[in-house]
Amino acid sequence: MTRAFTISDVHQLPAERRTETRAAAGALHLKAEQLCKVIDERAILRDVSLEIFRGDFVALLGANGAGKSTLFRILSTLNSATSGTLELLGLRAGTNAAAIRAKIGLVSHQSMLYGDLTALENLTFFGRLYGVKEPAKRAAELLATLGLKQRANDRVKSFSRGMAQRVAIARALVHDPELLLADEPFAGLDAPSAAVLEKLLTDLNAAGKTILLANHDIAQSLRLARRAVILFRGRKIADVRSEDITPGEALLHMEGAAA
Amino acid sequence: MSTMLSQVAVLVEKDLRIEGRTRQTLGIVLVLGILITSVLGLGLSSQPQLAALGAPAILWVAYLFSGVLCFEKTMAVERQEGALAGLLLAPIDRSVIFAAKLFTNLLLMLGTAAVITAVGLLFFNFSLAAAPLGFVLVIAISMLGFAALGTLLSALASSTRLQGGFLAMLLFPLILPLVIASTVQINAMFRPGATGADTGGLAILGAFDLIFLVTSWIVFELVLEP
Repeated sequence: MTRAFTISDVHQLPAERRTETRAAAGALHLKAEQLCKVIDERAILRDVSLEIFRGDFVALLGANGAGKSTLFRILSTLNSATSGTLELLGLRAGTNAAAIRAKIGLVSHQSMLYGDLTALENLTFFGRLYGVKEPAKRAAELLATLGLKQRANDRVKSFSRGMAQRVAIARALVHDPELLLADEPFAGLDAPSAAVLEKLLTDLNAAGKTILLANHDIAQSLRLARRAVILFRGRKIADVRSEDITPGEALLHMEGAAA
Repeated sequence: MSTMLSQVAVLVEKDLRIEGRTRQTLGIVLVLGILITSVLGLGLSSQPQLAALGAPAILWVAYLFSGVLCFEKTMAVERQEGALAGLLLAPIDRSVIFAAKLFTNLLLMLGTAAVITAVGLLFFNFSLAAAPLGFVLVIAISMLGFAALGTLLSALASSTRLQGGFLAMLLFPLILPLVIASTVQINAMFRPGATGADTGGLAILGAFDLIFLVTSWIVFELVLEP
């Protein structure tokens, strides 16, 4: 039985963090300049520049092959760009990768979990790698928050896609990251699970998390995010407020018809 | 340094927990090793003297094939559901991942070698009585280099689409000098009149270990593709 998810559940900032958050409001969390990625002599990303500020909720839209996942892998420091510069949370990627990783979380269509470990073991394991104090306690709290308390000691491989995705989100949040990168987190989810995830992302953003979301559902993306960035064949062709573009117009951009 | 060691311990604990729960590596690796040793042992049963002479080499054949399977399996755990990407996203040095995987592989291979050797002693007219500690030392030193190179190459092989046999193709030619040095050393120890492990031979094995460890440590980061 999934209980209602609340902001206070997921992110209870201590007083000093709240002060720090206010003081740094408006800080640049992500600054990418002319990112290019060439794989096998094929340009996957072409001069993509992007700025995302603290507390932003940005949707990244694009057809298959537009370069969204490649961009996510670069932004999450899993891969490096062929050229261009990237700063995350004020740190230059490439020279501060470990420090950056400690402050970002990535959710993708793959759970990045160990199927033969329980949900609690998975989260505790990743919590320990991130140096979280009392990782088991943090893991249990997150699982309770995400409505998985009853399944905490079950192996992840026995979970449905929706439940595994919730654990994957908990994994991405176990170290309380400032920036959450969500690469097609809705892929393969049924409607109830998608609704839970949608609410979770909204609440996280309301709690101050910066979110970059890649998603194939244009209407959902525009509803959730305040800004939409559209990629077409590896190039950024639009960066607009969500309220200023309709799903139909976004689709035209994604297909290149408006380019 | 203590942080790195504790991170290695966290990763090894995770590997061993999964292995203890599923036995997906040790189970199949042991079966393969025992099968190879048994088949070769039975094949040579009519010529016990030849079996005794060839025992070190035959044991290494079993170690090699079991090792390839072991390295593939332990790396495959990281490839399921993109778990490796989850590790690479953590703020840990990639050499920590190498050290942990090497330790897990070494532990599993030493256990496997112990069982294979015990089975080999049953089939080959071979006794360790002349130099039991020397034999253990040579095998342990050899396994370190074998596991280091196997860990590196299994990471490389797992990031390609060339599965099934690709790791063996990469590993066997490169590990051959160490295997030859190891079997020569074992044969020398059990030759009539031998006085135990030869320091020079052990130094050669140690040198192989050093080369494989340092090279693997440096290159691992480059081959580890999420």
